Amino acid sequence: MIENILEARNLYYTYNDGTQALKGLTLGIKQGKTTAVLGGNGAGKSTLFLSLNGILKPVTGEVFFKGLPLDYSRKGLKNLRKSVGIVFQDPDSQLFSASVFQDISFGAVNIKLNKEEVRKRVNMAMEQTGITHLKDKPTHCLSFGQKRRVAIAGVLAMEPEVLVLDEPTAGLDPIGVSEIMKLLREIQQELGLSVVIATHDIDIIPLYCDYTYVMNQGKIVLSGTPKEVFGQPGGLRKVNLRLPRIGHLIEILKDKDGFAFNDTANTISEARRLLRDWKTSQDKSAEGVLKHVRRN
Amino acid sequence: MTNIDKYAYSSKLKHTAPLKKLIFAMLALAVCLWADSVPVSVLVLFIMGWCTVYKGGTPVALFIKLMLVPVTFLIIGVLTIAINASGNKDIFLFSIAAFGTHLGVSQSGMQQAALLFFKSTGAVSCLYFLSLSTPIVDLLAVLRRLKVPKMMIELMGLIYRLIFVLLETADTIYTAQSSRLGYANLISAYRSLAVLASSLFIRAYKRSDELYTALESRGYDGELSVLEEPFETHWTEYIPPVTINLVLVFIALLLKRYTGGVL
Repeated sequence: MIENILEARNLYYTYNDGTQALKGLTLGIKQGKTTAVLGGNGAGKSTLFLSLNGILKPVTGEVFFKGLPLDYSRKGLKNLRKSVGIVFQDPDSQLFSASVFQDISFGAVNIKLNKEEVRKRVNMAMEQTGITHLKDKPTHCLSFGQKRRVAIAGVLAMEPEVLVLDEPTAGLDPIGVSEIMKLLREIQQELGLSVVIATHDIDIIPLYCDYTYVMNQGKIVLSGTPKEVFGQPGGLRKVNLRLPRIGHLIEILKDKDGFAFNDTANTISEARRLLRDWKTSQDKSAEGVLKHVRRN
Repeated sequence: MTNIDKYAYSSKLKHTAPLKKLIFAMLALAVCLWADSVPVSVLVLFIMGWCTVYKGGTPVALFIKLMLVPVTFLIIGVLTIAINASGNKDIFLFSIAAFGTHLGVSQSGMQQAALLFFKSTGAVSCLYFLSLSTPIVDLLAVLRRLKVPKMMIELMGLIYRLIFVLLETADTIYTAQSSRLGYANLISAYRSLAVLASSLFIRAYKRSDELYTALESRGYDGELSVLEEPFETHWTEYIPPVTINLVLVFIALLLKRYTGGVL
């Protein structure tokens, strides 16, 4: 059984202006896996994330880290934030220093490490995110993608156990998206991190994620492996989401054009396998027909 | 503004200890103001220009262009000092009669104006040297070492970082407005400007909120503590900047003694 490193049970959260952002949300983040939280705009993803590291305290319900309920005391929060790091959507609202190096060091300095250890961690984080060459550049001269990497490095330097990212692919070009997702996958495998990403970029989920939650109006409406979730297109469409493009294509081929696939596919490689299998079965049946014809 | 910053980062003097540059520039500034002498001011201007252009690799054209910015203001300011009005025509070197009195330039007025002009350009050149060779981040590190209150340094750092975000936001809003003819005529331009200012304020406020949240999640506890890479310096490195300034002081004293403070 895989242990849940983070768990939210029956969370309710209401903002000061009366907006109910979370309405009885329950989910578990599995240790050492990449979990996607999929949801349209205003589904409550950001509120959920801020609850996961104690920035917001749910009105009712509880968050558990490693099986223990969150401790909202000063010390407890400090420990929690060391272990659960959030990368925010807009790097400009996260990077406060004009020096890349200094910004990355901020979190590590805050957990009261000695200078040597901080320097080691900052250098390591820059290496992991591939930004060592930007060390001496001023923050405001970086491109958007570079800023996002710096933001990720700033959280990695704290060596968290859970890395939470709010829309890590938003605002990036296609190459930028696949680079950042590959980077996350590498970091996750290398460091054994648990990664949580909020996204509405549906096509990256079957490629990079192990588990998926679908959120709508402050609640989880679907959950499972990407394959399981995308096996329920009706449920997804009800909450203004869709299948991955490939999944949609396979669905249309199956339902409208009469292709007799015996499985679904959501990525290019899955689709290739599915089509190859289908071709083999077609060849086989054609051979069967031929044999039958010859015998008579 | 963004440009000066860019040149500071590409200056050959960027890796020189910022404290050294700060001491050099501030001493020269002090000498220039104290000496009250045209030759010393001109010397300071040339020394700073030479350091910026030859030592730092800043393009000469840029340095001259930047110097011209305050010079334009200075000329206007200095003119009002140089030109005096008096009923007595004899005190002027040359004058014109106007409004029943004489307007003209006297010897002492001329001297005062020249002195002020060169003193100001000399002083400005010191600041340009500093800002064209030292990124703000390094300067803040020095101020921290000099025990300037943390609160001030943090504020300076934040303002410096966020001014670019603010400018970018203002620029985006401006483009969006002008693409919908927001600045087509004077009335709509005023209206658009008002909207720009107020929405900029609201956005800045929201952003400060977001920044606080982000800092909090990285363990912010009231102090923006970061790791700074110290510049390795030896005390002997401070000899040249101090010597140059001592020479300047010496020249100033000689001039005062032998010319009686005319120059």
